[in-house]
Amino acid sequence: MNRRSFLGWGAAGFAALCSSVAVSFGAVLRYLVPDVFYEPPQTFKVGKPADFAYGPPTFLADEKIYVFRDREKGFSVASAVCTHLGCTVNHFQSDDRFHCPCHGSIFAANGAVVHGPAPKPLPWFEVTLARDGQLSVDKDKVVPSTYHLMV
Amino acid sequence: MNFFRDIWNSIVRRDSLSTDKGKSELVFLNVWLHIHPAKVKKEHLRFRHTFYLGFITFFLFIILVTTGIALMCYYRPYPSQAYQDMKDLQFVVFLGPFIRGMHRWAAHLMVICVFLHMCRVFFTGSYKKPRQFNWVIGVLLLLLTLGLSFTGYLLPWDQLAYWAITVGTNIGSYAPLVGGQLRELLLGGHTVGQAALIRFYVLHVAVLPGLVGLLTIVHFWRVRKDGGLSRPLWKLERKPVEELVTIGAPAEPAALRVSSAAQSKTYGLMEVVTGKPIFETVSPDEEEDTVFAYPYAFLRESIALMGTVVGLMVISILYHAPLEELANPAKTPNPAKAPWYFLGLQELVSHSALVGGVVAPALMVLALLAVPYIDRNPSRRLRERKWALWLFSAFVVANLVLIIIGTFFRGPGWAFIPPWVHVVAGAE
Repeated sequence: MNRRSFLGWGAAGFAALCSSVAVSFGAVLRYLVPDVFYEPPQTFKVGKPADFAYGPPTFLADEKIYVFRDREKGFSVASAVCTHLGCTVNHFQSDDRFHCPCHGSIFAANGAVVHGPAPKPLPWFEVTLARDGQLSVDKDKVVPSTYHLMV
Repeated sequence: MNFFRDIWNSIVRRDSLSTDKGKSELVFLNVWLHIHPAKVKKEHLRFRHTFYLGFITFFLFIILVTTGIALMCYYRPYPSQAYQDMKDLQFVVFLGPFIRGMHRWAAHLMVICVFLHMCRVFFTGSYKKPRQFNWVIGVLLLLLTLGLSFTGYLLPWDQLAYWAITVGTNIGSYAPLVGGQLRELLLGGHTVGQAALIRFYVLHVAVLPGLVGLLTIVHFWRVRKDGGLSRPLWKLERKPVEELVTIGAPAEPAALRVSSAAQSKTYGLMEVVTGKPIFETVSPDEEEDTVFAYPYAFLRESIALMGTVVGLMVISILYHAPLEELANPAKTPNPAKAPWYFLGLQELVSHSALVGGVVAPALMVLALLAVPYIDRNPSRRLRERKWALWLFSAFVVANLVLIIIGTFFRGPGWAFIPPWVHVVAGAE
C-alpha cells in the first residue's frame, strides 16, 4: 500500500466513521420524536348551536376555547391559550376583554393585544356545521377575527 | 481469634492509624477516600476560606439521591397516578411527608449552596489559572442543578407543577430556529401531558443525576490536580511573592539548581516517560503547614455532613413540602408562579419572552462560562480586581432583586403589588 492510497482509504474510513456517528445521533434524536401523539384531536365537535346562549362567551375547559354567539353575526371561536407562555386566559364580562393570569397580558374582545408581554393576538378558529347538526371546530385552521358562522 | 483478625486484615490492609504511615495508607489505599491527599494544608481546612460550601452541596446531592430513591418506591409517573401517589406519601406512607420534605428542602438548599459556592469561588478569584476549566464545569453543574429542580417540579402533578412547566417550556419555545422543536422533544408532544411526565421523570431520576455525578467526579479530580484548594486571600496578603502552588515543571528551572535540600523539597513523579518531568516543589514552611487528612480533614467533613443532615431533618420536621390541588389544564392559578429560583427569569419574561426569556439568560450563562477567559487579570488580591468584583456583584444583586420582585411584589395578573397590601386570593 503506498502513501497515496493509505491516505485515501484513511480519509474515506474517517469520513465513514463520522457519518455513521452523525446518522446514529440523528436516529436517536428522531427516536425521541413520537409518531403518534396521544393528545386531544385538533378537530372536534362542541355541541348543537342551540346549546350556546347569546351574550357572554362559553368557555370549554377541555378544548381551551371560547365560543361566542352573536345575534347578528352568529358563531365564532377564540383560543383561550395566551400567546405569551400558554396560560389559560379568562374572559371578563365587565370590560369584555381577555386577561392572562400569568404575566398580565390583556386581549381585546377581537383577540388583539391591548397590553403586556403577549406578542401576538389570540387566534380564532374555523367553526363549521357538521352533518349531524353539531358545531365543529378545527384548531388547525386559523381564521380572521371577523370570521363568523351564521346558523 | 486469628480467624477474625485474618478477615479484618484482609479487608483493612493499612498500618495502624497511630502511625503516620497508617494515616497515609488510610487515604491512598481506599478507593473512596483517595480523592483526598494524604496530607492537606491547614489553610485549606479553614472554615472562613470556603465556608465548606462545596462539601455541603455535595452532601445535599447525596441526600437528594438517597431520598429520591426512597420516593421512587411509591411514585408512578403517570398523570392519573402521580398526584394520588403524592397524596399517599403525604397521608398514608410511614415517614412519607418527612422523606418528601427532606427531598424538597435539600433541592432548594442545593440551589442556594451551589450559588453561594460560585460566589465564594469568584470573590476569592479561585477560577484563575490553572483552574479556569474547573469553573466552567462548576457552571455546568449549576445549570444541571437548575435542570434537576425544574424536572422535579413537574412530578407531583399539582397545579403549581403543571403551570410552572407549561410556562417554563413555553419560554424555551421562544429560542430562535429550534425553540418549537426543542419544546416538542422535551414534552414528547404539544402540551404538558402523559408523554411530558414520563420524559421529565426519566431526565430527573436517570439522565441529569448521572451527568451531575460524572461532572462532580471531574470537578473534584481537577481540584486535586490543581494542587488542592486555592490559597486563602489572607495568605496572599502576607506573602505577596508566592503565588499558587501548581503541578507541572517548575516555572524557573534555575530554582531547582539553586535551592538546596535545606530550603525546599522537590517531589517528582518517577516514571520512564519522555517529555518534561512533573515536579512539585514545596518549601519546608509549607511542609509544616500541612496536617494528615485523617483525622483533621475527615473530622471537619463529618461535622459539615452531620450539620447538613441534622439541619435538613429539623427543617423537614418543622415544614412539610407543599402540595397544591390536582393539576387542572383548564384553570390557570392567579398568579401562576414558577419556583422561586426561576422567578427572576419569570420577571424578565413578563417584560419580553424573547429578550427576557431567551436572550438575557443565554447571555448570562455564556458570560458565566467565559468568566475565567474574559478576566485575564492574574491577581487574586481584592484591591487589584475592582472591575471584576463590581461586575460580579452587580450580577448577583440583579438576580436577587429580580427574584425578590417576582416572589414578593407580584400579585394576580402579575400586577405590581407590595407584600404589605392585602389582595383577596382568587378574585377575578
